[in-house]
Amino acid sequence: MLAFILRRCVTMLWTLVVVSILVFIIVNLPPGDILSNRIDQLMASGEESSVAQALFLAEQYSLDQPLWRQYLIWIGVWPGPEGFSGIIQGDFGWSFELDRPVWDIVAEAMWMTVVLNFSTIVFIYFFALPLGAIAAVKANTLVDYLATFIGYIGLATPNFLLALVLYNYGAQWFGLPVGGLMSREYAGAPMSMEKLGDILLHLIVPVIVIGTSGMAAMVRRLRANLLDELGKPYVVTAAAKGLTPGRAVVKYPLRMALNPFVADIGNLLPQLVSGSVIVSVVMGLQTVGPLLLQSLRAQDYFLSGFILLFASVLTLIGMLISDILLAVLDPRIRYSARAR
Amino acid sequence: MRSLIRCLFVALATGAAALPAVAESPLLENRVHEGALPPMAQRLPHEPQIVDLALKGREPGRHGGTLRMFITKPRDIRYMVVYGYARLVGYTEDYALAPDILRDVEIEDGRVFTFHLRKGHRWSDGHPFTTEDFRYWWEDVANNAELAPAGLPRVMLVDGEAPEVTVIDAHTIRYAWSERNPLFLTQLAAARPPFIYRPAHYMKQFHADHADPEALAGLMDEVRARNWASLHNAKDNMYRYDNPDLPSLQPWVSITEKNAQGYDLIRNPYFHRVDAQGNQLPYIDRIELTIAAGGLIPQKIGLGEVDLQIRSLAFSDAPVLKQAEAQGGYTTYLWVNGAGSDIALYPNQNYTDPDFRALFRDPVFRRALSLAVNRKTINRTLFFGLAKESNVAPLEGSPLYDPALSSAYAGYDPQTANSLLDTLGLDARDGDGTRILADGRRLEIVVETAGERPEVSDALELLSEMWSEIGVKLIVRPLDRDILRNKVYAGESMMPVWYGWNNGVPTPNAPPRDLAPIDQTQFSWPMWGQYFQTKGQAGEEVETAVAQRLLELYESWLLAIDAEARAAIWQEMLAIHADQVFAIGLVSAAPQPLIASNRLRNVPASGIYAWEPGAHLGIYRMDEFWFDG
Repeated sequence: MLAFILRRCVTMLWTLVVVSILVFIIVNLPPGDILSNRIDQLMASGEESSVAQALFLAEQYSLDQPLWRQYLIWIGVWPGPEGFSGIIQGDFGWSFELDRPVWDIVAEAMWMTVVLNFSTIVFIYFFALPLGAIAAVKANTLVDYLATFIGYIGLATPNFLLALVLYNYGAQWFGLPVGGLMSREYAGAPMSMEKLGDILLHLIVPVIVIGTSGMAAMVRRLRANLLDELGKPYVVTAAAKGLTPGRAVVKYPLRMALNPFVADIGNLLPQLVSGSVIVSVVMGLQTVGPLLLQSLRAQDYFLSGFILLFASVLTLIGMLISDILLAVLDPRIRYSARAR
Repeated sequence: MRSLIRCLFVALATGAAALPAVAESPLLENRVHEGALPPMAQRLPHEPQIVDLALKGREPGRHGGTLRMFITKPRDIRYMVVYGYARLVGYTEDYALAPDILRDVEIEDGRVFTFHLRKGHRWSDGHPFTTEDFRYWWEDVANNAELAPAGLPRVMLVDGEAPEVTVIDAHTIRYAWSERNPLFLTQLAAARPPFIYRPAHYMKQFHADHADPEALAGLMDEVRARNWASLHNAKDNMYRYDNPDLPSLQPWVSITEKNAQGYDLIRNPYFHRVDAQGNQLPYIDRIELTIAAGGLIPQKIGLGEVDLQIRSLAFSDAPVLKQAEAQGGYTTYLWVNGAGSDIALYPNQNYTDPDFRALFRDPVFRRALSLAVNRKTINRTLFFGLAKESNVAPLEGSPLYDPALSSAYAGYDPQTANSLLDTLGLDARDGDGTRILADGRRLEIVVETAGERPEVSDALELLSEMWSEIGVKLIVRPLDRDILRNKVYAGESMMPVWYGWNNGVPTPNAPPRDLAPIDQTQFSWPMWGQYFQTKGQAGEEVETAVAQRLLELYESWLLAIDAEARAAIWQEMLAIHADQVFAIGLVSAAPQPLIASNRLRNVPASGIYAWEPGAHLGIYRMDEFWFDG
């Protein structure tokens, strides 16, 4: 097991190097960068003094270097103007758009993002598991059709539309707040019961909106998996041996049907940080998603590159965790690959 | 002597305080009582800017209240500098220049400018505002090689020559050039002005020439600045307005660090304007800016979460806003957009393809395209007929407004348009009716748009049908704003769509910057503009006689002294534009919704929403708005 984990870690490192190169190339693909765009604009509006500031930053962050060297400096294996100072050394760069260190920005947005996406995942699991299981056990009955119907609404309605509709009626009928993740007066305030309540109130609509489609997908998958299992002889045997219907389902087939969810954990981890980009933009949530979009649009590549890389790291870690869990959960899965 | 004047003034002011109208603002009352802040009379300059509200048709108000407004991005805090609109000299509501922060400006021969400051004027932290603040910027910032490695900003240069700056006394400073500088004052009055002064007493602690080296090193470590210049630059944000410690002269000053939720601003206790009753402006004590997603703002307005809003509202929001008025306790006003045209297409005369370029340079071709536009349909479909169906021209309200200019080639006449195109040798047509160029290519025009405004995409949809009637195929391509700009500058964009001139309400004294090829941001001739801007280092020389003429006229405007000569030049330039149709304007003066709380007084029911001149809400002087009840 330990050898397996170690081997996986080495592979992860290599993957990470490749991913970082890819990320760097992709964020640099559009012509120009934020500083040259800004310089053009400032030149055009005749603000030479600001141009100097931008040029100064360009030099500080080696934007005047060839791309491959920029990459090496960004990673931290090539000396920049200030010596070795890159990702490896813990200097994640500077956001030109927001004029702050990248890490400060991401860290600030991070905890609200995690709170939001974690609540969403809890919401998904909380509703998807029972709904999916019931839909499979009572296949082709009214309950099944109802679950399917809810699922289709979640899947087929564009999230941003759902957001606007829910905000509108939520505000009208229940006095729910529109947009954002907390009221202004709590922004800088220390945590208190009032603040927590305020955040929870703000979370209701976003969690439903982001969660519905994920929930629908999960209900469908669980139903399909469980239906497969329910037809198998061992279930019939269990029933024949006199197990109660509930126990006969939960004890064996449901556990079998859960495999895909464990495999999903790998995707969940990055989702916690960078999920729900477009909806967050529409709903004005100050999470990492809108930051990523904004930085990509502004070609603020230290910020966008770092967020993408960070999400990749989380994906890799998530994959590792789900592999380990799967191996533990299902002894039929072997962790030593066959001889290559 | 000065103390005598001060005594006299205090006596006068306390005499005035006997009138019931004069009162300390509730926000500052306590601090004044405790002695933490001097009373109002001592905070005002000895000669404050007295605003006669009655003369402007406004009611005098009372202090207090919090005004709530939405912004969409953390850096939008800078709009409070725009809206606050305290400038050395500023535009009045009828677009005349008048001293504002300055008490007076003397101009000799258009080249020597003597600024007289208001005695006793103070920064928002109470430190005196004097010529030292101008000197500091000029000598220690603008002329410092580390802070300004690219040299002096253009506003201070006339033909590359710097002014001679003389500090006469603590309240008088003189800028003298050997040539005339007609742009100096208009630039100081801009929505985004060049701040030629800095709070020296505050900034010096970040300046290597003034600060104690050890203290400076400590400050640099604090913000991880790599050298003192970047520290100075980071703190020196007169326009970005995101450093709450930086003293200001604006009516409201921020008290919040840069963040992603919103900002609180409180009144500047030392602001230099007073109403005729003797009450210090602004009337409103606090401003609360909240960051929200642009798409949710109309909904939030409907819930009554806003007291004043114009930014982020589009005409398409008007029905929603109107419907929720009762619930939200506000009124929706329709202002007009102040650009020379709301939607204008620019045939790029620097387009790389020679055949198309020749067409775009031909006035007959441009006139034909303009005549084929059914502006009435566009106006009715998109703006309920509330916009003006005119070509790019000065709007009503400008002294240069002339209906003949607006209506030039703005009528709908597809027959004439068709026959004009036939005369250009474009009479052969493809199977679907699209005209064919001499070399066999179809007359397909790619119109690139920044895709930021839904009404533009809708208008282009309608336009493509109209132009198909004259055999011109229109293809729309949405691009990101910056990418669009760069493509235009490089001559790769055929016919970008944008606003018309920035300044839709020009006065003869405003430089005709939008009308001559002097700037690469002019989409009709980006390269010629670049050539002028860079003094021939980039771009291309002007190639058509008519553009050359415009350039000459622009330069003669700079030399013209009196308003009459300037007006004559403006009129000739406008006539050339009307005749040549350099840009095809679809509609002008589109309605721009503004919402204001029903408790808010002095908000004009109609106005022109323009960046330059006007600074959006700036010239409507938000400091005179007040809350009733």
